[in-house]
Amino acid sequence: MNPATILEIVGLEKSYGSTPVLRDVNLRVRQGELVSVIGPSGSGKSTMLRCCNLLEVPSKGQIVIDGVDLMHPNTNVNHVRQRIGMVFQQFNLYPHLNVLGNVTLALRKVQGKSKEEAQVLAMQALESVGLAHKANSYPGELSGGQQQRVAIARAVALKPQVMLFDEPTSALDPELVGSVLNAMRALRESGMTMLVVTHEMAFARAASDKVVFMDDGYVVEEGAPEQVFGNPIHARTRQFVSRFTEGG
Amino acid sequence: MDVPRSGLENFIFTFFNAEVAQKYLPDLLQGLVITAALSVCITLSGVLIGLLLAMVRSSGKRWASVPVVMFADVFRALPPLVLLMVFFFAFPFINLSMSAFTATCLALSLVLAAYAEESIWAGLRSLPVGQREAARSCGMTALQALVYVQIPQALRVAVPPLTNRVISVIKNTALGSVIALSEVLNIAHSATSNSGNPTPLVLGAALYLLFFIPIIALARWWLETTWQYKR
Amino acid sequence: MQDILDNFFNWDVFVQVFPFLLKGLWTTLWLSALVIPIGLLSGLLLALWITHTRSRTGCWIANVYVDFFRAFPPLVLLILIYFGIPFTGWEIPKVMAVCVGFMLNNSSYFCEVFRAGIEAVPKGQTEAARSTGLTQWQTLAHVVIPQATRKVLPDLMGNCIEVVKLTTIASVVAMPELLRVARDAQSLVYNPSPIILAALMYLALLWPLVRWISVMEARRK
Repeated sequence: MNPATILEIVGLEKSYGSTPVLRDVNLRVRQGELVSVIGPSGSGKSTMLRCCNLLEVPSKGQIVIDGVDLMHPNTNVNHVRQRIGMVFQQFNLYPHLNVLGNVTLALRKVQGKSKEEAQVLAMQALESVGLAHKANSYPGELSGGQQQRVAIARAVALKPQVMLFDEPTSALDPELVGSVLNAMRALRESGMTMLVVTHEMAFARAASDKVVFMDDGYVVEEGAPEQVFGNPIHARTRQFVSRFTEGG
Repeated sequence: MDVPRSGLENFIFTFFNAEVAQKYLPDLLQGLVITAALSVCITLSGVLIGLLLAMVRSSGKRWASVPVVMFADVFRALPPLVLLMVFFFAFPFINLSMSAFTATCLALSLVLAAYAEESIWAGLRSLPVGQREAARSCGMTALQALVYVQIPQALRVAVPPLTNRVISVIKNTALGSVIALSEVLNIAHSATSNSGNPTPLVLGAALYLLFFIPIIALARWWLETTWQYKR
Repeated sequence: MQDILDNFFNWDVFVQVFPFLLKGLWTTLWLSALVIPIGLLSGLLLALWITHTRSRTGCWIANVYVDFFRAFPPLVLLILIYFGIPFTGWEIPKVMAVCVGFMLNNSSYFCEVFRAGIEAVPKGQTEAARSTGLTQWQTLAHVVIPQATRKVLPDLMGNCIEVVKLTTIASVVAMPELLRVARDAQSLVYNPSPIILAALMYLALLWPLVRWISVMEARRK
């Protein structure tokens, strides 16, 4: 049985002034899939990701999330964003609220849940990333890895259809990266659909269902991890992955 | 009445005359109430208006931000006493009379609002862009993001300079005496003229200090305890 | 609308009073030019004293002075000096009363600004200068103060603007600065246009400076 398509990008284009950043990007993410997007800096991977919840507005193209056309004038963007979770490179936790406050804010103000309900849901999300015991701490008191896991919990608590990850471990010290990747693996086990822009090649190879290689605003190649990493078709892909894999 | 002999006794008799002080103290205290009431009104309305203006400016639309910037510029460039006079002496000519209290409150609130808007705006601009993005990404409207995420953080940045500015502005309540508002300075000055003795002025000054020094000390303590992030 | 034009922007009145207001503006300007340097210098000296003195009492006294005069409303101070001193038998000239009052007030504010600047200059600067043989005073004059001033230039500028605005309180002791002249003119012509014109003149004088500070502060972010 073919799982449903949760996220579909068709003909996406984006330019800043006269500088094109995305040229005709096409991508499909099915339910429960973890799709990794790799590529050199400036390839447009983050821009593409940010277009998916309209933090960037595409110049042309179509983005459909669970049947909803993002670019349609009638679409209520705030409503749709509740179904899309986003995890940022810089975590972006709210420093003036404690961990519990960070996770419950949207539950209460956007989804209108009561304080008690929100707290229960928030604690569940924090449990899933192993940080329930830090509910009363403030972001400033946590390590980078812990902050990022709280950020994941914050997004997951809203029960989104799809989670977007924008280089989630790039701002972390190497020894903290593992805890975040483990949280992401656990999330995948639970069946979440995930689109991850990352530099962590080992993770992309081991944990993804599909790997997408982008360069210079295009999707150059996509396929199963063993194929993209082990036997890439395009020369540019080969050039890029050879830096990370020894002996093919 | 005995004539004081030494220079020091003379000085005390002139400037710290207990008899005169006792006579005018009740009036002066009433004046202090006016000063206090004025200070509260000005602080509340000034900061609130400034906050609203900063929020309007953060919408990013030119038709909103240009008037706000002009307002902030004009009311920071104009001397408060000039504003006071315009409201109290000029406005009656276009059928907009107001009491001395209203004129003082209005003028100083607008001045404070201009400074408050600039401080809060600077606070908003100092936040990482990611804060707004994180809030909008989970479906909050622009207003919700402002109210629950951006403004609380902007205030932490803005409160220290703003506190100093509030204190500066409410010291200007003394300007009300120029338009015959019965606050402390006015009463002290007339009492001095009436009694031919400067003790009321000294007493008035002392009352001002007794009013402001605790406020400044309190503000300093409040800033240090409430407005720091837990680390 | 016509009401506003006749009363606030009456061209005939403008033309009539402008020469007088110009004289008032001149008084405002030379008064500012007199008190600002005094405030700057005394503020700087105070700040240097506070940051460099080894005497704890000396430092404490200076701090009390600064806090005291920052809590004292300037108008109250001016009135106290101008109307109070004559009771000691000494007739104090207006300009002197204004200068003393302003100096006591301004030195405190300028001191705070300079102090922040001086404390922001890294200690290594002083150490480097002294190890090349410069004396304490030379180090201050050529290394510390220039850097401190550059750091707090917008705040200094802001304080200078405040002083110019403060000159309006001199109108209360009948100094013929711009506001006083405008008020007197208003009583003569029985029309508030002079005050509006004075307001416009203050705007013309100070708005560019306010703008300049905003631009400078935005640039350093």
